[in-house]
Amino acid sequence: MRDSIYLAWRYLRHHRTKTLLLVLSLSVFLGLPLIMRAMSRATQESLLSRAEATPLLLGKKGSSLDLVVEALYFQLKGTEPITEADVDAIHATGLALGIPVRTGLTARGFPLVGTSVDYFPFRELRIADGRGLAMMGDCILGAAAAEALGLGPSDSLLTSPSTLFDLAGVYPLKLHVVGVLEPSYGPDDGAVFVDLRTAWVAEGMGHGHQDLGSAGPDVVLKRNEGIVIANAKLVQYNEITESNVDSFHFHGDASSYPVTAAIVVPHDEKSGVLLRGRFVDAETRQLVRPARVVDSLNKQIFRFERVLEIVVWTVGLATAVMFVLVMVLSWRLRAEELRTMTRLGCSRWKAAQIMGSEIVMMVGASVLIAAVFGIVMTQYGETWLQNLILRGA
Amino acid sequence: MRITNRERLRAIVMMTVLVAATLGCSKKAASGEATESQQAELSAVYTVNYPLSYFTGRMAPADTRVVFPVPEGIDPAFWKPSADAVRELQSASLILLNGAGYAHWTRYATLPRARIVVTADGCREEYLRIEQSLRHQHGPEGEHAHSNLAFTTWLDLRLAACQAGHIRDALIERMPKAKDSVSAGLETLERDLLDLDQRLRVVGKALDGQPLLASHPVYQYLAEAYGLSVQSLHLEPDQNLNDDDWKEIDAMLRQHPANWILWEAAPLEATEAGLLERGVTPIVFDPAGRTPAEGDFLSVMKANAARLECAAGVKPCP
Repeated sequence: MRDSIYLAWRYLRHHRTKTLLLVLSLSVFLGLPLIMRAMSRATQESLLSRAEATPLLLGKKGSSLDLVVEALYFQLKGTEPITEADVDAIHATGLALGIPVRTGLTARGFPLVGTSVDYFPFRELRIADGRGLAMMGDCILGAAAAEALGLGPSDSLLTSPSTLFDLAGVYPLKLHVVGVLEPSYGPDDGAVFVDLRTAWVAEGMGHGHQDLGSAGPDVVLKRNEGIVIANAKLVQYNEITESNVDSFHFHGDASSYPVTAAIVVPHDEKSGVLLRGRFVDAETRQLVRPARVVDSLNKQIFRFERVLEIVVWTVGLATAVMFVLVMVLSWRLRAEELRTMTRLGCSRWKAAQIMGSEIVMMVGASVLIAAVFGIVMTQYGETWLQNLILRGA
Repeated sequence: MRITNRERLRAIVMMTVLVAATLGCSKKAASGEATESQQAELSAVYTVNYPLSYFTGRMAPADTRVVFPVPEGIDPAFWKPSADAVRELQSASLILLNGAGYAHWTRYATLPRARIVVTADGCREEYLRIEQSLRHQHGPEGEHAHSNLAFTTWLDLRLAACQAGHIRDALIERMPKAKDSVSAGLETLERDLLDLDQRLRVVGKALDGQPLLASHPVYQYLAEAYGLSVQSLHLEPDQNLNDDDWKEIDAMLRQHPANWILWEAAPLEATEAGLLERGVTPIVFDPAGRTPAEGDFLSVMKANAARLECAAGVKPCP
């Protein structure tokens, strides 16, 4: 038997190109459905685990899927915001903790997430380097964002302008990187976290400027009876520092400021039920269970996966037929070679053993390649597939 | 040394298994370890000023750590905490704010919202405003002013009692087992505060709208609650007054002919002499926003009330 394997191995080595092509096409045939299924399962599990870890989500009435996708996975969907007062109202019920989430802006391509300090223990996020948020203007980077940007504590990061061509729009805000999170293998890794008020400042709802009481005539248009009207020369700060943080302020009622959604963490099961009951007939708000929303998304993915599987198996079958055809033709071409082997005293059984060994080795190599590729894709293709699904959701 | 094909095959298989195992294990580590915030002390109550600290201390169970984190010598209303100090505050199980814009730093520090109680919120419909605050306009938003609320709310002792009531509620919510002792603590505290309130009301009636000056704009709630006619200046008790200050005092006295001026602490001798020359007697009324050098909130307020009673002729001077 060892001789047969040796001869088969020598034959395959001699016909490297043909062998390689056959092994690769077999690998694709074997690997593709497995990889598709494994990646899809891993993505669905990953999506579901984050949703299951989020008991309830409060947002503006509308698409619950968009709300979940934006608030949990930070994929911008332009969800209509609720207000800070809604988060306060959740606290006021005494039934749950409300964690605000404000999305909408980015910082060098990574989503800027305004939230409260309660978010980090809730998601079990730990600081790997530096410290947590303490002051307005601080930001914390997710592990992947920090690695991609090459930033760490004591570096700074500019927010991206919301509209590139809006010259009169909000200027970018310079954020101070104070910490980097440990990897959590989820959407938090690719996010830039700031305090909710910092997010509002970045959006232009709050600002800081030089003291108007001591401003010169070049800045002041009019000053009478305790009212000062300044012109466009007034210096507005684009960075929140220790020396100017006092000057930052918000106009109007802060409770009316926008929040994309609020993660609602009931104190117990009964509180959760009571809260859900209160929002059943709410006209402008919805309190959704993210796990249910993601579960319905997963069901749609599953249906699509079934269709895709049929296509993949059909292609696979064609590949298998092609493989058989190639092998049969190959044996025909090798008829002279086989006759020579017989003349040299090789039995028909031995010849069959050699041919069989060739097939087993090629199939074995294909299985091995498909398995390694499958594991790698399941591991690293999950994020890619997750983003693809969430963008399309 | 020649490597046989068999050995080579074995090496490939082993490497594949190793890669697969490594990749399989690289997922998130078990999250059983406690997070930074979960290590928070469950019995630490942080307050932004001394009165709240005192009220909490009167009600909270003995094992509760009541922390007033502002360093000595700094006015808590204008304290600027470091990032480390804010991180320490984040570990509190309860953070008591005063309300009315008191302690400006709370606007820019990142604090856990769920653990914050604004004690004066809901105690009155509207907070009092500081008349002198500068209004300005620099864009399409229209006029506005920064931090123009009067914030020494506890000088209206009924309001102080209301704030204490909110502290009671917050303590009971977090420590339901201590409900009886906390409620009993509030009862005695309320009694003390309302006694003082009654004394100050008598003073207000006795003064009957007679003009008073104040060295600083911190007595708005005191004035409103007890019917005092107070006009405020910006004078520091530990600084010599310059000519402009005296001109300001003289101008104020022409509009508001007061016989008394309230000071947060005893003024310098030269200041006192200058005031007495003008027929104005300084009265120390310590707002007790920071920890007193001697006594406690109640004893300081009792001494304040006694000095006012003396000035108003309600009671003999000590």
